[in-house]
Amino acid sequence: MSFLTVDNISKQFSGLTAVADLSFEVEKGEIVGLIGPNGAGKTTVFNMLSGFLSPTKGEIFYKKKRITGLKPHQICENGITRTFQIVQPFPELSVVENTMIGAFAHNHKTEDAREKAMATLKRVQLEKKANKPAKELTLLELKRLEIGKALATEPELLLLDEVAAGLKDTEIEQILNLVRQLNQDGMTLLIVEHLMKVIMNLSRRIIVIDFGKKIAEGTPVEIANDPAVLDAYLGKEN
Amino acid sequence: MNKLIHNKMAILSIGLLLICSFLPFFLPDYFLHIAILVLLYAYLATAWNILGGFAGQHSLGHSLFLGIGAYTSTYLFTGLGITPWVGMWIGAGLAGLAGWFVGYLSFRYGLKGPYFALVTIAIAEAMVSLTNNISLVGGAQGLDVRWEGNNPLVMQFENKIGYYFIILVMIAIAIALVYWISHHRFGYQLIAVRENEEAAEALGTDMLRVKIVATVISAILTALGGTFFAQYITYINPRNVFGEGPSIQILLFAIVGGLGTVWGPAIGALILVPISEFSRSWLSGTFAGAHLLLYGSVLVLVMLFMPKGFVGLFEKIKQKKFRKQSTPSEKEI
Repeated sequence: MSFLTVDNISKQFSGLTAVADLSFEVEKGEIVGLIGPNGAGKTTVFNMLSGFLSPTKGEIFYKKKRITGLKPHQICENGITRTFQIVQPFPELSVVENTMIGAFAHNHKTEDAREKAMATLKRVQLEKKANKPAKELTLLELKRLEIGKALATEPELLLLDEVAAGLKDTEIEQILNLVRQLNQDGMTLLIVEHLMKVIMNLSRRIIVIDFGKKIAEGTPVEIANDPAVLDAYLGKEN
Repeated sequence: MNKLIHNKMAILSIGLLLICSFLPFFLPDYFLHIAILVLLYAYLATAWNILGGFAGQHSLGHSLFLGIGAYTSTYLFTGLGITPWVGMWIGAGLAGLAGWFVGYLSFRYGLKGPYFALVTIAIAEAMVSLTNNISLVGGAQGLDVRWEGNNPLVMQFENKIGYYFIILVMIAIAIALVYWISHHRFGYQLIAVRENEEAAEALGTDMLRVKIVATVISAILTALGGTFFAQYITYINPRNVFGEGPSIQILLFAIVGGLGTVWGPAIGALILVPISEFSRSWLSGTFAGAHLLLYGSVLVLVMLFMPKGFVGLFEKIKQKKFRKQSTPSEKEI
């Protein structure tokens, strides 16, 4: 069994099927991309992996342990942490306090959590902003904070939801460098992304879903030439 | 550096406590009464603030816990002869259970904001109706606290100074507790839940547990205040402890002083209670409700110009000073 195994999960919202019989696996140390057109069910998959939704059927296993239907904080304690597409800071708290909330997942003492948070802020290059309120950060800094908060929970699998959304090209490059660095340091990542160029140059393996179903899986080159993927993104030829 | 801040806080607090300990010996009776009311409301607002200010769950029915504390100890004392010193803990235990029930019921099903507020109002109002109809606890007429003369063993004093010191100790403990909470994991998690529930959960905060624990702590403290209230006023009825009056007053002090801050609720009570009491006596000869008009105007002005309360205002001033000092050095860089 793999590091993360998603086995035939489905999610229905009162009759509407958002995800249907989806299966995939993630191995330790990989960066896997999850892509698909708008409304394909990417975020629903993320919500199920992170415990915000439970699947209507199917199972999810992480490190051989069944984690289907656990609550978000339990999933986090197990070592899977997500970020949000729209950054979710704690606006009234300072940058370091924001990060401490994540650090408290595995540290009970305030001083330990603060130390862990400061070390994490160095990794995401925000240590100089540590004492600023989160509401005063730029979008790029907020994206760094979003990753920093998640890292502070000491995950082994990081779920990034559209980490580049809303950024300028030069900023996207900076975030991508950060993600690559995390991966080189041993982090396993599953990334939902809308921007093709982002995912194409990050992941060695990409899973494409459309209408909640997996329509392709493979290397970026394979995906870029897959007729089903082209159909999904560009529409079918008559 | 943190130790230094803690030490500074400790010295300041002990100094304040000393001043407060000498104060009652110099105050005339009427002012002593107002000082006791200030401390009582400061205490109740501090208790409310744990749930309303830190965790951001605005209970509009905290009189529920006040009433449980007041009725339990008073019934046990007047009816069964059990001293309020014991009765207050039984009341606190019952209020803790009630807090758990309200918290679990609301938060388990994801109620928040106005919906949580409505649940708390509804349960408090239900208690008004319930106590109105139970003759065992006096029905609508309420209960008189049996007077046994000056007897500290049953929390009764001929001189107000006795009451003053009880409530002084209670507020000191409450503020120390809130200060402790705000510097530990639980306090950070409370604020995280207030600021962004989903993000807090994603980062490993057990939201349901954190909210329920906050409700229970807040309820227990409020109920202990309820017993004191009953002993001091010596008379309770469904409206004056379970009614909406005390609920609203408690949260006004917290909001005006500063939500989610350690000293805010106490400062709010320190400013508003005297205004309310003095305006009542000064304006009593004029037309009916004049003091309420004045009191209301003060509240409106505070909300308009200090949306984050008095503590928020102090912090703004402090930040401005800090910025002025730090601008030149920033330019150098």
